[in-house]
Amino acid sequence: MNMRRVKQHLAYGVVGLVFGGVLTRIGFADYDELHKMFIFADLRMLYTFAGSVALTMVVYFLLNRRIPPQHKIIQPGTIPGSMLFGFGWAITGACPSLVFVQLGMGALPAVLTGIGIFAGVWLYRKAHSRFFGWDTGTCGV
Amino acid sequence: MTEYWPWWLGALGLGGVSILYLLLIGRLLGVSGSWAKVVAWKENREQQKAAETLVEDTEAMENAFMAETLAEFGEDAIRELQAEKEGDTGGKAADIGELESATPWTAHLVFLLSMFLGAFLVAWFNGQFELRLDLSDTHTRIFGSLWEVWLALLIGGMMVGFGTQMAGGCTSGHGLSGCARLLPASLLATAVFMASAIFLSLLMEVMIR
Repeated sequence: MNMRRVKQHLAYGVVGLVFGGVLTRIGFADYDELHKMFIFADLRMLYTFAGSVALTMVVYFLLNRRIPPQHKIIQPGTIPGSMLFGFGWAITGACPSLVFVQLGMGALPAVLTGIGIFAGVWLYRKAHSRFFGWDTGTCGV
Repeated sequence: MTEYWPWWLGALGLGGVSILYLLLIGRLLGVSGSWAKVVAWKENREQQKAAETLVEDTEAMENAFMAETLAEFGEDAIRELQAEKEGDTGGKAADIGELESATPWTAHLVFLLSMFLGAFLVAWFNGQFELRLDLSDTHTRIFGSLWEVWLALLIGGMMVGFGTQMAGGCTSGHGLSGCARLLPASLLATAVFMASAIFLSLLMEVMIR
């Protein structure tokens, strides 16, 4: 393993640590808090999310040309996929990152959510090459 | 029970993470992409190997050509070739950089696991850590017995995994990175998954009343 790869792993590790810690302190992984947001009983986390998008937007604007291009397009799976994700999020309180935070906060059955997500991603790959075959533009390519 | 951060501090933290990701990794935050890489680890490993052999092969071929040129035309030709090469090293370096920039799947795995570790450490030192067999009081109130809770999590997890891959992003990729640049696909996806989650949550709330 060369230096470049070690650095790459370290960078991902550092960001992951901070990300997990921040999500814990916001309370995003707490189903009670999340449910309160979804039924409009407490809008704190909605403001948190909107605020972070606004802040990110400002920084992207300042960095302007130095932002890597992102391949995200409207495709046949955008709406049905997002609906599935939204329903799943309401049921499990987990998005692909929150499941690890739930586990870190001590909710053991988040392991089942994690297994579910793994199976879902795997199933989608199979179904995609077999039936869909369109360009989904998933992040981080 | 520790208080959670007020919205403005949370916004600073979460926005800070997306910017940190961009600065340290040079890409835009997107967690479902990391999942995809980890689930497809076998393909990713093979791709990585293919890229490495390609670089090695290119070097080996170049060396062979050099030796051949030396034998045929002598050292002057080599010097000429090298002078020529220096002119276009820019293009070549970029090509190889491109090949190496494919992130190994293990880095994505480190990312996901360190999210767990970060959450655990912060929860532990803030007294938020609580081992439990269900997800939360509200969750149990909605889904009932432990078995039903677990089944709901398994099936819901599959919906999250399948859905995020199908939509090409999740809360971070579409919701945070994509919305911040006002990409139409991300705005649409975010509106749809938020609306779906709100709809189902309200429905569940009505049903248990």
